[in-house]
Amino acid sequence: MDLLNYLYLGFSVALQPMNLFYCFIGVLIGTLVGVLPGLGPVAAMSLLLPATFHTSPVASIIMLSGIYYGAMYGGSTTSILVNIPGEAASVMTCLDGYQMARQGRAGPALGISAFGSFIAGTVGILGMMLISPPLVNFALKFGPPEYFSLMILGLMILTFLTSASMIRALMMAVFGLVVGCIGLDNISGLARFAFNIPELLDGVGLVPVVMGLFGISEVMLNIELKIKQEVFTTEVKGLLPSLQDWAKSIWSILRGTVIGFFLGILPGGGAVIASFVSYAIEKRVSKHPEEFGKGAIEGVAAPEAANNAAAQGAFIPLLTLGIPSNVVMAMLLGALIIHGVTPGPLLLADHPQLFWGVVASMYVGNAMLLALNLPLIGMWVQLLRVPYSILFPLIILLCLIGSYSINNSSTDVLIMLVFGMIGYLMKKLSLEAAPMVLAFVLGPMMETALRQSLIKSKGSFSIFFTRPISATCLIIAIALIIIPLLPWFRRPGVALDHEDVA
Amino acid sequence: MKKTFLINDLVWIAFAALVCYGGLKLGFGSFRQPHAGFMPFLSGLVLGLLALVDLLSGVVNHWKQEKMDKEIWANIHWGKLFLTLALLFIYTVLFNTLGFIIATIPLLFFLYRVMEPRPWWVVIIASVITTGFFYLGFKVGLGSQLPRGFLGF
Repeated sequence: MDLLNYLYLGFSVALQPMNLFYCFIGVLIGTLVGVLPGLGPVAAMSLLLPATFHTSPVASIIMLSGIYYGAMYGGSTTSILVNIPGEAASVMTCLDGYQMARQGRAGPALGISAFGSFIAGTVGILGMMLISPPLVNFALKFGPPEYFSLMILGLMILTFLTSASMIRALMMAVFGLVVGCIGLDNISGLARFAFNIPELLDGVGLVPVVMGLFGISEVMLNIELKIKQEVFTTEVKGLLPSLQDWAKSIWSILRGTVIGFFLGILPGGGAVIASFVSYAIEKRVSKHPEEFGKGAIEGVAAPEAANNAAAQGAFIPLLTLGIPSNVVMAMLLGALIIHGVTPGPLLLADHPQLFWGVVASMYVGNAMLLALNLPLIGMWVQLLRVPYSILFPLIILLCLIGSYSINNSSTDVLIMLVFGMIGYLMKKLSLEAAPMVLAFVLGPMMETALRQSLIKSKGSFSIFFTRPISATCLIIAIALIIIPLLPWFRRPGVALDHEDVA
Repeated sequence: MKKTFLINDLVWIAFAALVCYGGLKLGFGSFRQPHAGFMPFLSGLVLGLLALVDLLSGVVNHWKQEKMDKEIWANIHWGKLFLTLALLFIYTVLFNTLGFIIATIPLLFFLYRVMEPRPWWVVIIASVITTGFFYLGFKVGLGSQLPRGFLGF
């Protein structure tokens, strides 16, 4: 009954005209950045964050969330029609989606991707509603040792699942911690690595770092590439999948939804991993695995469902524990803090209108996305025809304005350019930015939790192993380090060359 | 040759050493009472160790799984890359003084011509229109603060 009351509260917030407007803007921009290769949801969210300063926290989070799950929808269009993933979570959709397009079945591929995303998104929201309240009660038992161990676990999972080389992924995570140390020390107030630059006393901003690592570096990489785009515009017809398509896909969608949702909740997990895992499982359970990669509709349905369910699941650790599980959630954490809202176990009690308003807006947003992605597919296809030589100055300009407008500081723009160069070199050397950014965001929280725990235990590290929740997290984290050393183990490394760790 | 990865690890080790030194200068404290340099020192130490392990495993395995230097650095348009970066740095230094509009038009003019040559008059018109569109969208529409420059816009 409480749940229904809260849902009523949520819809009464989400259906307010201003919030509906922000939801629409969010999903529209999300679809746009999903469709366009080179500009992902993180860059778009960073860019629009300053624009939300004058709005209410609810409207702000509704819009930023819309960008995220909207990008999951939009990313599939580029994958299917151009064989270039609009964002990283759509990589797997390229394999069969593009083959379907080549066979003249771009319509059903786009259709099943949109319907699958809708179903998964809706189920994901339902799961979020059911799981969040009990998780909040559980989270109230967390102290600094538990938070520290959970964040270590999140980083370990991310490095374990997403990298071809775990050592290098760990190196990047530690580099993120170092960058996170820049600025005033939280406890003593001493300036660290600020080099007498006043702007660095507040630390390095998330927006310039993210825009540099993902926006500018991507542009630098693309300058040296000649992307040959072959868009299957004439084949886009018959968007509604046939009954046979539905029969083939429905179980794939449901499996993808469940896998995606639970991998989304996992700190360090997310939409990219979810789409890879669901594709692999789908291929394994299929009676015709040989059809995968040659235009199997299940190969489109499962990863698309998984990445959308994961996008919803990822909100759970942020809203209930206050811990962002990926870079996108870190952006949302930043937005919440800017608006004076501290995410965590008390969010549900202190700001129920925000939590339930955002949840309800996701229902509305998913319906909007279905309308945006199917009837307006022609418009998105036309966008794909914009040459990169025109697109890239616009992306650069968006990044420049976005990083400047946070603090009206050209130092932030310089930081963005420096991280753009670092990101470019990292991509060249197959060093992943995702663990670095997540560690950078978690770093200050981790440090505070570690130092508080040590002060509490009078310098004994046993505090992390004598408390059950903390010990469990650390044991799993240690196991994740040991497992790759075992000779029989073949790691499921997934190279992330894009911004979405989600 | 795979010098790139050797240099990469050496750079990380040197960086880690600097972070450790910085951490110690800030004050490590003790495990009972960690100071401001505690986390930087530990991070630097772990980073250095990881880079060392990566270096040793690369040396032992001859970086078999890595790309060749040629693969990594081939087909790069260094000219375009450095030109773009140089333009961006110059823009960043100047746009507070010049203001958003005056600084952005020439930046876009060059960026539009970086990837492929186009008639200069088309590029000028495109640069002016794009700048105006962004100014209206961000400054007027979204209320973002953009530098005004000496002319006040």
